[in-house]
Amino acid sequence: MTVAAEERTYADIALVDLLDRLIGTGVVLAGDIVISMSGIDLVQISLRALITSVRREMTEAWEES
Amino acid sequence: MGEPARYLYAVCRGLAPSALDGVRGLDGGRLEVLGVLDLEAVVSTVDLDEFGEDGLRANLERLDWVERTARGHDAVVQACAGAAPTAPMRLATVCLDDESVRLRLQEHYPDLAEALGRIEGRKEWSVKVYEHPSAQEEPEAAEPAALGGAAYLRRKKSAAVERRVAREQATAAADAVDRELCGLAVAARHLRPQDPRLAGFGGTMLLNGAYLVDDVSTRSFTGRVAELVAAFPDVSIACDGPWPPYSFATLEGP
Repeated sequence: MTVAAEERTYADIALVDLLDRLIGTGVVLAGDIVISMSGIDLVQISLRALITSVRREMTEAWEES
Repeated sequence: MGEPARYLYAVCRGLAPSALDGVRGLDGGRLEVLGVLDLEAVVSTVDLDEFGEDGLRANLERLDWVERTARGHDAVVQACAGAAPTAPMRLATVCLDDESVRLRLQEHYPDLAEALGRIEGRKEWSVKVYEHPSAQEEPEAAEPAALGGAAYLRRKKSAAVERRVAREQATAAADAVDRELCGLAVAARHLRPQDPRLAGFGGTMLLNGAYLVDDVSTRSFTGRVAELVAAFPDVSIACDGPWPPYSFATLEGP
């Protein structure tokens, strides 16, 4: 259990929690640069980057062991 | 170097310029504040090679870029949210120039003003509930050789029943936690449960809740979470915050 301290350093925030909010929520004001994919795809491609990276780490750990 | 563009971090109301002293934007860019009516847009200059359509599409596939950008964006949003009511923008909101930023604020002014009113004097808290990893482990595959087929199936079935009961109990606990916290919050949202591979926790996430809590109620909220941890030992509960109101300063209403 991590009942949070009032203050926290931002490096402590898990990236996945940050992306939940920075991509999954937040004000969506379409800027001039619109990735010609929907918001859902933005989530998916970022998560794909995360998952690929996690898999790579797992594979490396597996190969080292 | 490509063409310059404006990266929009957040829209605030009543942000003192000194609140951003010592804070830098993405790629070390200088933060600037554009006033529109009683709102302020917080922007910095970025390069379209990096943040244009093609650049973004390629960069969003690179975890190191996503992480650096997300943390840089969040650092600016946190500085803003610590000083004034703040509506954080979604990652990678990019406009070609200041005029374009101003037009967007004018166009969405009523919704932005309403969103800022909704979150003023409040913060977002994250509460996640997980099933313990042990509750979902497969039973040991190694069965005594003497065990007949029927006995094996019986054992397998009873293990499945146990797992289902454990899941039902954990889900009921997550629902109870959510109900309790909704009672203390001004608003609540359920974010999508995270993939266990990403969440850094073996157990299945049953609740990924975001709660908007009045600043004056912070202690009663975190205190109640601590009580819920003790009341529901069958699940793991993680509470984290305060966050800027990412999940609640939305234009469509939470």
